[in-house]
Amino acid sequence: MQLEDIPVIGSLLAAGADDHVFDALLVLGPVIIIAITLLGRTRASITLAVAYTVGFSVYIGYKGIRRTSVRKT
Amino acid sequence: MANRTGTIAHDLGRMLEALAGLILISVLIPLVWQEWWVVPGLIVSGMLPLLVGFGLSRGFQGADDPGRLHGMMIAASGWFFVAVFGSIPFLLIAWTARLDPSVLEVPARFTTGGTRTFSTLAAFQNPLNGFFESMSGFTGTGLTMTDNEAALPRTLQWWRSFIEWVGGVGVIVLTTAILARPGSGSLTLYESEARSEKIHPSIVSTVRTIWWIFLLFTFFSILVLWLAGMPMWDAINHAMTGLATGGFSITDNSIGTYNSIAIDFALIPIMILGSIAFPIHYLILQGDLRNFYTDLQTRWVFIFFAIGTLVLTATLFGQGFYRTETIAFAGIVLQGQAATLFQTFRYALFQFVSAASCTGFQTAGSLGPGWTAPAQLTVTFGMVVGAAAGSTVGGIKLIRLLTLGKGILFRIRGIFYPSSAVRTFRLDGRALSDEEAAQEFEEAAIITFLWLVFLALAAFVFMLALPLGPGPDAYTVENVLFEVASAQGNVGLSSGITGPGMPTVTKVMFLFNMWIGRLEIIPVLVLLRGVFVSLEVYE
Repeated sequence: MQLEDIPVIGSLLAAGADDHVFDALLVLGPVIIIAITLLGRTRASITLAVAYTVGFSVYIGYKGIRRTSVRKT
Repeated sequence: MANRTGTIAHDLGRMLEALAGLILISVLIPLVWQEWWVVPGLIVSGMLPLLVGFGLSRGFQGADDPGRLHGMMIAASGWFFVAVFGSIPFLLIAWTARLDPSVLEVPARFTTGGTRTFSTLAAFQNPLNGFFESMSGFTGTGLTMTDNEAALPRTLQWWRSFIEWVGGVGVIVLTTAILARPGSGSLTLYESEARSEKIHPSIVSTVRTIWWIFLLFTFFSILVLWLAGMPMWDAINHAMTGLATGGFSITDNSIGTYNSIAIDFALIPIMILGSIAFPIHYLILQGDLRNFYTDLQTRWVFIFFAIGTLVLTATLFGQGFYRTETIAFAGIVLQGQAATLFQTFRYALFQFVSAASCTGFQTAGSLGPGWTAPAQLTVTFGMVVGAAAGSTVGGIKLIRLLTLGKGILFRIRGIFYPSSAVRTFRLDGRALSDEEAAQEFEEAAIITFLWLVFLALAAFVFMLALPLGPGPDAYTVENVLFEVASAQGNVGLSSGITGPGMPTVTKVMFLFNMWIGRLEIIPVLVLLRGVFVSLEVYE
């Protein structure tokens, strides 16, 4: 199945950076926001938000390091 | 002439159809917040541009693809009419409250005269105020006719944030992404909306990627702000307007309402994200982090923000404006001069980044009357310059000033070389031929010149229309320059001039400034020339 085949958001996902982690973050973003809205400010919701934001930032750093090491070799 | 009208009308119709979609999808907000009384007004507001847009796009279905002239006229007229139709929700919701039909059960706070809540919404019964708010939103300016944003219905809070979010990327970018038009027409329109950089060879793919990046950053920003302590509704709205560098707030005193160091610092990276060009974001998301310093504009975004913050910190520290005895942050307690320096840096950093990124969030409540003239003019300079072209910011843009600066140095140094010397002008790693270099200088010089001309014109109108001089109700020249630069730079910081009570002539002037500021002037002048020629006012 191609990304374009996913209903509603398929063409948007296909326009991304060809990276499944970012695509997953894009799809999970609104789900997490709705979940946090329903849960309120609890330990679980804070963990969710921290996991998303830290995961996003760390993954960009990881991609940068990996690209740099590939370029050097 | 008929062909030109058909081409413009067809694309205008498509933009209005896209706008109708934005209004109608916003009906979800009153349903979630149970503001049933605004639903009829919102649906009618959506149906009007839908019908007009449908009529225009179908009526001129066979129109030619736009050329460069058409592209500019479509962009200018499109942004104007999108702002006109985008003002209808303000108007109809305000009049729903005014007429107060019993069947809709409008909450008493919106219908009982004499309160701030009532007067805040009632201001939009005047169509000019709604048009101002809509133009300010779509252009990402953030100056407002609202007296107390917190008192607005949630639906209007959302509509203000939503139009800034969409306007930050661009109305034409939205239309192109949704109603993908094959052929060269999309590129022409894209370039007419003050954008030139492409991420992919196809313009439709480029605009879809821009939306992909923008959505991803929006979700990230919402969660960062929520973690910093904002309630979720506030985080959603401020993430949208912060990332779009628009600056509308849903609180009475903008970000200053929270008086939170964590929120202030959380918004800094969000505003900076909005100041970096989308193609650079794309490369960074692919792991090419070197672009933070190898790309000329991105490098200068950081340098400019740093220098401006240091200058503003020094100015305000010298003034002793933020004298503080004790302050605690992240478990560290600062006292005396250290506390004052930290507090000054906090406000200076936030206000300079907010100004130069053209966001317009405010933490310094007394930014207009309280700050010294040098401090106000430092912020004004930030608003005039702006940040990276190809991002969501306004202003003249760093790349133009860099082009002019490097070009002037190149010319001066050339005098010291023999006339037979072969010299190459390099800009952002590119070696430009004489012709290319001349074209770059010309474009940068024309936009900068026009920018300053219209800035001066607006300042002149304001100085005629407003009381100037000392006194509680009077404004200084630096107040006027600050406010005008804020409007034309699509920033939204205010020295206290803008509000529903300002003279009509100044509202109309600001509408024009915001419009030309967003489209970088030329398309609006092309449209006006076309209109004047058609009306035989000008040949």
